[in-house]
Amino acid sequence: MTGKILPEKNLVVRHSALELIEHWAIAISGLVLFLTGMFELPMSKRYYIVNIPGLGWSADYMTSLYIHYAAAIVFTAAAMFHVFYHGLRGEKGLLPRKGDFSESITVIKSLFGFGEEPPMNKYLPEQRLAYAGMAFVILMLIISGLVKTYKNLYAPDMSLTVVLWATWIHNIFFILFFLAFLAHMAAILLRPNWPMVRGIFTGKVRLDYARHRHPLWIDDIEPAQEIPLVVVEETQAPPVPEDEKIIDNNKEE
Amino acid sequence: MSRQSKFQIGRRSFLKITAGAAIISGVGLPKKSFAGTDEQLSTLIDLSLCDGCADRKVPACVSACKTINKDKIPQVAQPIPIPWPRKTIEDWSKKREVFKRLTPYNFIYVHKAEVNMAGQKKTVFVPRRCMHCDNPACATICPFSANHKNKNGAVVIDQSICFGGAKCRDVCPWEIPQRQSGVGIYLHILPEYMGNGVMYKCDLCVERLAANKLPGCVEACPREALLIGTRSAIEKMAGSRAGRMNGYIYGKTQNGGTSTLYVSPVPFEEINKTMTKKPGQPDMKVEVQRRMARTDSMGKAALAAPVLGIAAAGVAGAWNWLSHRKDKTGKEE
Repeated sequence: MTGKILPEKNLVVRHSALELIEHWAIAISGLVLFLTGMFELPMSKRYYIVNIPGLGWSADYMTSLYIHYAAAIVFTAAAMFHVFYHGLRGEKGLLPRKGDFSESITVIKSLFGFGEEPPMNKYLPEQRLAYAGMAFVILMLIISGLVKTYKNLYAPDMSLTVVLWATWIHNIFFILFFLAFLAHMAAILLRPNWPMVRGIFTGKVRLDYARHRHPLWIDDIEPAQEIPLVVVEETQAPPVPEDEKIIDNNKEE
Repeated sequence: MSRQSKFQIGRRSFLKITAGAAIISGVGLPKKSFAGTDEQLSTLIDLSLCDGCADRKVPACVSACKTINKDKIPQVAQPIPIPWPRKTIEDWSKKREVFKRLTPYNFIYVHKAEVNMAGQKKTVFVPRRCMHCDNPACATICPFSANHKNKNGAVVIDQSICFGGAKCRDVCPWEIPQRQSGVGIYLHILPEYMGNGVMYKCDLCVERLAANKLPGCVEACPREALLIGTRSAIEKMAGSRAGRMNGYIYGKTQNGGTSTLYVSPVPFEEINKTMTKKPGQPDMKVEVQRRMARTDSMGKAALAAPVLGIAAAGVAGAWNWLSHRKDKTGKEE
């Protein structure tokens, strides 16, 4: 259950099991789509990829297409599930809000040592913007991909204008998807974001990290659980890895 | 001998049959144009009529095609950029006159097949060019949609956006499209690393069709061995001719169906035996599966995936709601 605080373990649940499945289904199928999409270009023989052990199939366009379709089933179904499931539940935490752009700049500047981070919610403002961007890229890839699939199956003589639009949207957003993926990976490299990485694997992040960086989120969930602010003795708390220790310059308490 | 006379009868009755079929279909003689319409067209190649233009150095269909397309390929870059890392280039610019195979400068050639039928030698001439398939993989999976099937059935490469990756040739069961390196859009982007020229093949003379003219090969054939007409008229005519000559049809089912129908008094298995598949010289196997068909079921599932995702969301949402309701009721009790 998202938002559950586990004080004895110094953890807070950031993502439910379902959300983890959604994320990894989209991530893994997205990477398979990217790879097999690349192999739909005539590059495997030219670049000798076909000679790499285990990639002998890469020059066979039909095999690549088959895997591409299979991955598209997971990718599309997971994306649709995500939108409708969370939409039905009214969960809007990842949707951009007013002021996210300027706040993102403040956060990004702080990541490089300029200024301080504002108190943040469960998701960072730039995460919400990136989410909207990635969602748009994924939506365009899905729509154009479905048009191309329909053409392959039922309408090879579909209007050339529609085919060209679908093709070029698919190709351009394929590049944008890759760039967005690189940006996503780059965000992980930033040290302040490291504590969030375990969250996308285990669903949980450290409570002390969440209190420090996502106080608005913790404020939202704590009253509901009626948990006292300090329930763990310092000495009982699990040790914090050296590289994840937070240097807090705002010691007001 | 009896087959030969049947064959001649078939040919003599050609005009009558043609006129009959035309009257039934109400569209005029198939030899005449159906140009400029979106109506699905087919071509008929009657091997009982083609004699390979024995009296000419170059068959009339080949010659006409060459003349029509002589300026299709622009000036080839010199030197042609050498691709990296595989350094293959294909340059036909100095062998434009070649007419006994498909090249970027030659979209049709005539294969001479000497077959043995019931102890008798028989010579058949087989014009070969793009079959204009019903569901052409060369067009549907072109990464840039440079190749497209028109409503009238013609499969046409747009040379202005073709990168010459030759994927279309790889997926064509007859490996029809041919590449000329050193021309095309790739020269303006990253010629060493992406693309390798432009692909060329028969486009059924779409521009001539649009101008109310017949395809060059059809118009030039002195024996009317090549015809064009509406799909239904040509299919009817092919069936009728094959029946009369006790012959065979090729192209109706191969690769999932094509809009080129060969009619022959000789089995295509026998004709195929005279063909050795080489670059630019396709064979004529009778069993030609549409290779892309094995991806169809997965493609259909991909088309259904949005509905699957939404349905799963509905089920999960309902489950969630019921669980919460149960928890709430339990707490109240």
